[in-house]
This record gives sequence, C-alpha cells and structure tokens, in this order.
Amino acid sequence: MWTVIKSVLAAFFGVQKEQQRREDFEQGRPGAFIVTGLVMAAFLVGILAFVAILVSR
Amino acid sequence: MRTLLVWLAGALSLAGSSQAALASGWNMPVGVTDLSREIYNLHMTIFWICVVIGVIVFAVMFYSLIRYRHAKGAKAANFHENTTVEVIWTAIPLLILVGMAVPATATLKKMYDTSDAELDVMVTGQQWRWHYEYLGEDVAFTSNMSTPRAQIRGDEPFGENYLLEVDQPLVLPINRKVRFLFTADDVIHAWWVPDFAVKQDTIPGFINENWVRINEPGIYRGQCAELCGRDHAFMPIVVHAMEEDDFDTWLAERKEAAAEEALGVEREWQKEELMERGEAVYASICASCHQPDGEGSPPAFPALAGNQRMLEDREWHTNVIIDGVSGTAMPAFRSTLNPVELAAVVTYTRNAWGNDTGSEVQPSTIAQRLGQ
Repeated sequence: MWTVIKSVLAAFFGVQKEQQRREDFEQGRPGAFIVTGLVMAAFLVGILAFVAILVSR
Repeated sequence: MRTLLVWLAGALSLAGSSQAALASGWNMPVGVTDLSREIYNLHMTIFWICVVIGVIVFAVMFYSLIRYRHAKGAKAANFHENTTVEVIWTAIPLLILVGMAVPATATLKKMYDTSDAELDVMVTGQQWRWHYEYLGEDVAFTSNMSTPRAQIRGDEPFGENYLLEVDQPLVLPINRKVRFLFTADDVIHAWWVPDFAVKQDTIPGFINENWVRINEPGIYRGQCAELCGRDHAFMPIVVHAMEEDDFDTWLAERKEAAAEEALGVEREWQKEELMERGEAVYASICASCHQPDGEGSPPAFPALAGNQRMLEDREWHTNVIIDGVSGTAMPAFRSTLNPVELAAVVTYTRNAWGNDTGSEVQPSTIAQRLGQ
C-alpha cells in the first residue's frame, strides 16, 4: 500500500525512479493505482480549495 | 568557470542597459493610484526574476556549448536518467512559481476589494461610445470621440490627442474610492485606462466591478480594449481627475442641469430649439453611421436624407430611434437619450438636408410614448 501511495505521489510530481517503475509494472495491480490516484487527486483538490478559502478570507 | 563568470557579467550589463529602454515608454506606466504602483512593482519584480533565470540558464547553456565542444574532443556522457537532477529541476520552478504567486495573490485580492466605495459610477459600453452614470446622483451622460473626421480621413494634420479626445470626459474626484460597475448594451467592450491599471471587460447582461483611488489630479486617457466592431478604435476614454472640492461643485452643477432638463420635458419647445438641440445630438450620436450629411453608407447604414418611409411615417421613424431595429446595426436609444434629446433628434432628422416635412415631435409626446 505504501509503495502504491509513493508511486502515485511520484506521478503527481512527474519524476519516478526507473527501478521503482519497473517493479510497479511487474508486481502492482492496475486497479490499486487507479483507485489510489483518484482518492489522492480528490485530496489534492481539497487541499487547494482549503488554501484558497484561507487566503481569500 | 572564469568563462562562465565573463558570460554572466556580459549578460547582466545587457540587462542594465534595458533599464534605459524601460524609461523610454516601452514599459507599462507606473500610474497614479497606489494599486497601479503596486501592480507596476509586481510586474517589475517578476520581470527581474525572469531576467535572472534567463541569464543563468543561457550562461550555463553557452558555457557548456563552448567549453565542451566537439572540436576540442569532448565526449558525450551516455546515461538514461538521473532522478536527483530531475527532482531538483522540478522543485526549483515549483518554489519560484509559489514565490511569485504569493505577492500576486495579495495584489489581486486588493484589486477585487470594491467595498467601502464613496462614489459609484456605472460604465456602459455601446457601439461606439461610453455612457457614464453617477449612481444615486441623477447625473448621466454619453462620452463620444471628438476627433474631427477630416483628421481621420487624412485631410487635416493629426491633433495632439488624435483619437484620444472626447466631447465629455468622465469626471472623478481624487483621494476618494470610486467603484466602477461595468456593463454593455450590445457587444463586449473593455474599459481600459493604463494610468489606473484598470482594464475590465464590459459584457451585455453582466456587471463587472473594479475601483480606483486617484492620487493626482490630471487628465488620463484610454481606449476600448476589446474588438467591438467597425469603430472600435474610435471610442476613447478620457478621465478628468479633479480636487475633491472642484468635483463636488461640478457634480452639483450637473445635477442642477439634469433637473432643469427634466423640467424641459413638460414644456412646449420651439421648433428652432429642437432643431438646434437635434443637430448637436445627431452630430455626437448618429453621424458616425448615418454620416453628417445624412447620406448614410448603404446597405448597412441607410440614408436619412430623402428616406421615403421615414418621411411619410413619423410614428415608425420615432419608434426606430426609441427601440432600434433588431437584426440590424441600429441600436435602441430609449436609455441612452432622454425625451428632450429623442424629440430633438427626431425633429432634426425630419427637417435637415432637404427633408422638409415641417413636422416636429415634442418631448412630452416622447415621454408619453416611453410610458413615464
């Protein structure tokens, strides 16, 4: 689970280790990455909205 | 490394000479409000950040190009990826962008804060003129470009404020927060005065807001900044910023004149009076399309001189001016002109350029027609 989160974070940032990428493609299940990606994207939107509300107060 | 330093020094001296270019009118103006000054400083801060980044990137690039060139026997390093370097070149721009977003957001917040205004001015864009209304003061007028057509055609030399002069400037007080409410009657225009750092779209059916607090009295000029049709270049903005006392006097005078005009609706007008007033209204509002001689420019703008339908049907003629003609370039003037002006321009167009109908329309008739 932790490696999935780490890989999704790396994808958000845009940089991933070649070795890690290979491991993900060999061992990981696509569904886990998609679901984690969606949840974390929603989380990111939430954080940005929170910052915007905080600033515009 | 020494070569790199020489390159850096050279690039910086180039940047220094650009300071001269900035002072020569190529840059945006500092402006005459606290906010315009802040926007200018923000612009310059970000400009210099870009300069520093450009100098560093190009210095490294040219240094590498020259120092490690093929002719000197340089061998390319062959590797696929370097995660550390990639992380660094992603993180640094991220930090720079966030660093620029913080002051930019602070300024944007001030720009959008239209609260506690001491004066509200409604600005309405129309093809091709600006209409200003001092809300709650019963003062409203239309501001038309006053550059003579002969200058535009090239028959006369250009005046000092060619295409940047109007018959009635917007008058504003200094040291008071003025809130603008922007809208338009026909298409999208944009009200742009560089010295105020205000450039706001005026959109039919929408109200946009912006504000100024002018620091120095003076005359400030601007233009429509959204392509709005044939005479887009011929609807300039002129703002006359006055000392507060002078402004109060001006506003009181305009209010009095407006009250007098309202009384004028009730009384009977002489035909000569209507003709004189009508000629002025025609020159400022109608002539840009229907031409000063009433010949128009068909087919878009029909001739008024000798227009049979218009001369035979006064009712229809009046309605066209009040309501406009949908599907054509003829706008409705019911809210732009008051009953006196409407009556005057109907009377004038029925009697000018050999249109000898002899008929006239009284302001009171128009007022009834408008349902007042």
